Parts: sequence; structure tokens; C-alpha cells
Amino acid sequence: MTVALFWVAIALYALASAVYLASLLGLPDRYARHARLVLGLAFIAHMLEIGARGVAGLHPVSSVREAIGFLAWALTGGFLLAQVRWRLDAAGAFTAPAAAALLLTARLTPAGEMVTGLGALGRIHISLATVGVSIFALATALAVLYLLEERQLKHKKLGTIVQRGTALETLDRLAHRCVQVGFPIFTVAMITGAAWSARRSADLRPEYVIAFAAWTAFAVLLVARVVAGWRGRRAAIITLVGFAASATVLGIYLARAIW
Amino acid sequence: MVAELVVVGLSHRSAPLDVRERAAFSEDEQAAALAELLELPAVGESMLLSTCNRVEIVAAADDARRAVADVSGFLARRAGIDLAPHLYDRVGPAAVKHVFRVAASLDSLVVGEPQILGQLKEAYQTAVGAGSVGPLLGRCLERAFGVAKRVRSETDIARGAANVSSVAVELAKRVFGRLDGKTVLVVGAGKMSDLAARHLRDDGVAAIRVANRTPERARELAVRIDGAAVAWESLDDELVLADVVITSTGSRQPILTRARLKPVTRARRYRPLFIVDIAVPRDVEPEVGKLEGVYLFDIDDLEEVVVQNRKGRDAEAQSAERIVEAETAQFLSWLRAQGVVPTIKDLRERFLGVAAAEAERTLGVLGARLDAGGQAAVRQMAEAIVAKLLHTPLMALKTEEEADDLVAAARRLFALEGGDKKR
Repeated sequence: MTVALFWVAIALYALASAVYLASLLGLPDRYARHARLVLGLAFIAHMLEIGARGVAGLHPVSSVREAIGFLAWALTGGFLLAQVRWRLDAAGAFTAPAAAALLLTARLTPAGEMVTGLGALGRIHISLATVGVSIFALATALAVLYLLEERQLKHKKLGTIVQRGTALETLDRLAHRCVQVGFPIFTVAMITGAAWSARRSADLRPEYVIAFAAWTAFAVLLVARVVAGWRGRRAAIITLVGFAASATVLGIYLARAIW
Repeated sequence: MVAELVVVGLSHRSAPLDVRERAAFSEDEQAAALAELLELPAVGESMLLSTCNRVEIVAAADDARRAVADVSGFLARRAGIDLAPHLYDRVGPAAVKHVFRVAASLDSLVVGEPQILGQLKEAYQTAVGAGSVGPLLGRCLERAFGVAKRVRSETDIARGAANVSSVAVELAKRVFGRLDGKTVLVVGAGKMSDLAARHLRDDGVAAIRVANRTPERARELAVRIDGAAVAWESLDDELVLADVVITSTGSRQPILTRARLKPVTRARRYRPLFIVDIAVPRDVEPEVGKLEGVYLFDIDDLEEVVVQNRKGRDAEAQSAERIVEAETAQFLSWLRAQGVVPTIKDLRERFLGVAAAEAERTLGVLGARLDAGGQAAVRQMAEAIVAKLLHTPLMALKTEEEADDLVAAARRLFALEGGDKKR
């Protein structure tokens, strides 16, 4: 049952991705509506799958793999929520494949050993970090779209990305709002993570440094926007850097859980 | 032998914006330029069309080749650069067709855009005012306006023809999403800014501010578009406040330079600034478009976008081309008729003269034996013979494509006076 739900979710994600991408490349506009519907169904299938796994004892925060699976679901949910209010079909071409890839990673990588002795602190850390990173992932999808659109506008080559995309200022504002929401959550995740790992061992691991770099990037982004008015392209690039760093941390955890 | 129509010029098809802006004539310069053109020995009549997309001189000349050379030289001297790679010339039938196509907006970058007809009419009025229009140019242009009207009413070419202003608004929306609450700054109080500002006003921008070197004109435009005139000196401050800037001054030097706008972007805290430069010569340095958060579109960029967006207008353009073809042929046959009319007249006079003389001679001998009706019948017969005999040659003269040889032959064969007579 769980496995079937997983494959249904993957198939729906893949279909939604294909339609979103095709629509970005010039498929008539009306198909984007179908993509939204398919992605909504994928979201529901994914939710049922997570529920079924939970019943079987695999809670979303019980391991990095489960957390990544949850991250994909949260990312999709955030996107679906945002596109109710804003026309974000072009961003769907990045979020839907990202969700599919994350879910595949979460379920098809070897289970490895279960993390033992997580404790309350560990659970809080993992859940907050997952939610924080999924919000950052949404900001990143918007930032990528921003960079692509701005590039076309600056070069005066107005392809379908600009025509189907969202207005630059809207993308910038939305991405900023995502970072604003994600940052406090990620900050608490950092603090709980530090406390939790300090309790377990005193070693300084590389992922701590990278996580701190991610946090710094987003902190700089928020401060510089207020102080110096940094926005647009600059903000989009810093968002990309911050997200790449936080994704690297997840990757390291995942790799460590497998080997 | 009739004077021929000649077109010499450059357009978006042959010359990039930086060449066009050097060759362009401002409104104030046109009368003087027309006077200068008329001084060229080969040029009989002339007209000057200078828009952001083309600089063309339409002239009537007896020696077309020489007129082309003279006018090309005039344009190059004025632009101060070598225009040879960019200039094109059309002579005779090709020139007529070119003028018709321009008027019908078939030669426009945005085929079907309506502004060119108004610009052409204005250029014609200027030339009429300057006294440089004669019968040939006058007839040709008036026909061109008729062609434009036909194309407009008989084809769908103009329907949905996106003009530059509406494209500018669309692009601004790609940056800002919605335009309500945005501030527009109009730099330069020309006609083009008027149009663009109206489009933006329709999209609900919060405020339109107008800056112009001469404050009176800024105030005039501000009243027309329901905006506020601001001092030219406070332009930098206005640039910091604005979201959309439209420039269309007549300045020959860029007004918004990179050096000037760099501190402005910082003061704006990198908020997006959308600049539309519809002036030729340009008001904004191209380098400005590379500044962070600045989106600069000049007239070529805008029209390029229009072309990219255009779909399915080709069939309409084809039927418009057919109208132009037919009208050109009609005009040319009128023009030819103008050339053969004197010859036809001379020929008829000569033949009728001979016939009348012979009829009278016959009547001198037979007259006494005929009553009045009989005498009239003899005269009628003479005229009828002339008419019958002349019918075929006159038709040949009227319909022949290259009538010049026939005219010359007729004049020579029948020893008509003044073989090279000009109208």
C-alpha cells in the first residue's frame, strides 16, 4: 500500500513537472491549469504515503531520509498555497521536479542504520530544519525564475519564460517573504541542532560550518535588504548560495546515514 | 519625357539606430533642409520624412541618377559619416511603390502600425509649406494617402497592431506586475511621450511627472495627461522617486548617462527602474541598461518585441501588398498619360488640321452642288476618317509601358514640333 502510494505520487509529480515544463516552453496557457490539478493530486498522494509510513512507525522526523521526504511534501504544499494568490505557473516547472527528485531520494536511497537516541531535542531540530529548508527551497525556485526572467529582460530576448512568468517585483517580494518566514525557523533549528550535537560530542564537523554559512547567507540577505536595499538579482544569488549550503548539509547527513 | 520620382534614404531595414540618430532631422531643421535640397541642381521637387525609423527624401527630378547622387551626398554631409552602406534609392516605378508601401505601413518594422501615415502627412504639409512640392510629388503623395486609407479599410492589417507605447506598458508589467501605485516620469514633452503617458495613465499609475527643458511645455503636457510638471533641475531627485521613465527629448546628446544614473540606483536602493527611450537620437546611454535593477528599452528594442509578438498578420500584409501593386500600376499609367497627352493632342491637331483643309478644298469644288446638310456630311466624314485612323496609334501611345520611344517616333514621323517638350 505504502509503496503503491509512493509510485502514484511520483507518477503524478512527474506528470505535473512535464506539463509545467512544456507550458514554460510554449504549450498553450490553459494546460498550466491541468498541471496545478495534477500537482494537487500528487500532494494528496504524497500526504497519504507519509501517513501510511507514520502508521508503520516511520515518522517524518525519525531520520534524514524521512525528513527529506517530508521536505518535498512541504515544498509542494507551500507552492500550491502561494500559487492560489499569485500566478506562479512558471515556478512550478522548478518546484514539481524538485519535489519529485527529493521524494525519490528519500525513498530509493538505502535505508542505512536508523539514528538512535534522537530524543526530543533531536526531533525538534530535524523537524524545524526540514520546514526551514523547504521554505528556503521555495524561495530558491522563485529566485531561479527571477534570474532567468531578468536575464531575458536585460538581453531583450523575451522568450516564453518572461511571457509566462511572474513579474520580477512580485517574485522578488515573494522570495523575500519566504526567507523572512524560513529564517527564524531555521535559526531555532540551528540553535537546537547545536545544543543537541554538543550534548552528543564536542567535535566540530564540516556540516556545522556549512550550516552556519547557510544561516549567515540568509542573515546577510535580510539585513542588507533593510540597510542597503539589496534586492532583485543580488538577493536571488544570495538565496541560491544559502540554499545550496543548507542542501549540502542535508546531503552530508543523508550520505552519512547510508554509509 | 516626364520628370521621375526618386526616393533616397535609410530606415530600420538598412541602418542601425546609431546611424539613424545621426541622420535624423528635428522638426525645426526640416524647412532649412528642404530649401537646401531645392538648391541641388538635379532636384525639382522634394519632401523630407524623418521619423525614428527612417530618414527619406522623396524628390522629382529630370535626371534621376544625378538626383540620387546629389541627395545621397546631402544626407551624408549632414550626418557627418559615410552613409553609403546604409542608403538605398528607388527611381521611377520603384519609387512610387516605395512611397505607397511606406504610407500603407507595409515598410514599417511593426507592419500596420498607424503612426507612419500621420508622420508622412505632416512631412508633406511641411514640404507644401516650404513650397518644395510640385505637381508630381503632390499627386503621388495624395494617391499614397488614398492607398493607405484603402489598405486600412480593406485589410485587417492594422487590427491589433500593437504600437510601441502599448508594448512599453506590457514590458513594464513584466517588471512590476501591476502599475497602480507606480510613479511615471516623462522626460521631454514630445508627442511620443504624450502617447506613452496616456497608455500608462489608462493602466492606473499613481502619478505622472513631467520634466522638460522649457517649463512651459512641461506644464502643457502635464495638463494634457493629468500629471504634474517638475523642474528640469530636479531631474535626479525625480529619477530616484520614479518607477517608469519615458524619455523623448530632442537632445542630440544623451541626457541620462551611466555616470548620472549609477548614484541614482543606489539612492533608489536598487528598486527596479524601467526606462523607455523613444527618442532618436537616444536620450539614454545604452550602458545604463547594464546597471543593477535598471531595465532599458530603446525604440529598436520595443519594436523588436512587437515583431516577436506579432502573429498571423502576414496574410493581411499580402493582400495589402496587392492593393499597393494595383495602385502603383494605376498611378504609373496616369503618369504615362501625362507624358503622351501633349503628343496625342499635337497628333490630333495635325490630323484634324489636314482633314479640315482637305474637306474645305473639296467643298470649294463641290460646295455649290451641296446643300448645308451635304456640306456638314463631308466635314463629318473627314473627321470620322481621322478618328478611325488615329484610334489604333493613340491607344498604343496611351497603353504602351515604355511610351517614350513611341512618342519620339510619332513626333518624328509626323514632324510634330518640340519633340522633347516638357510639361
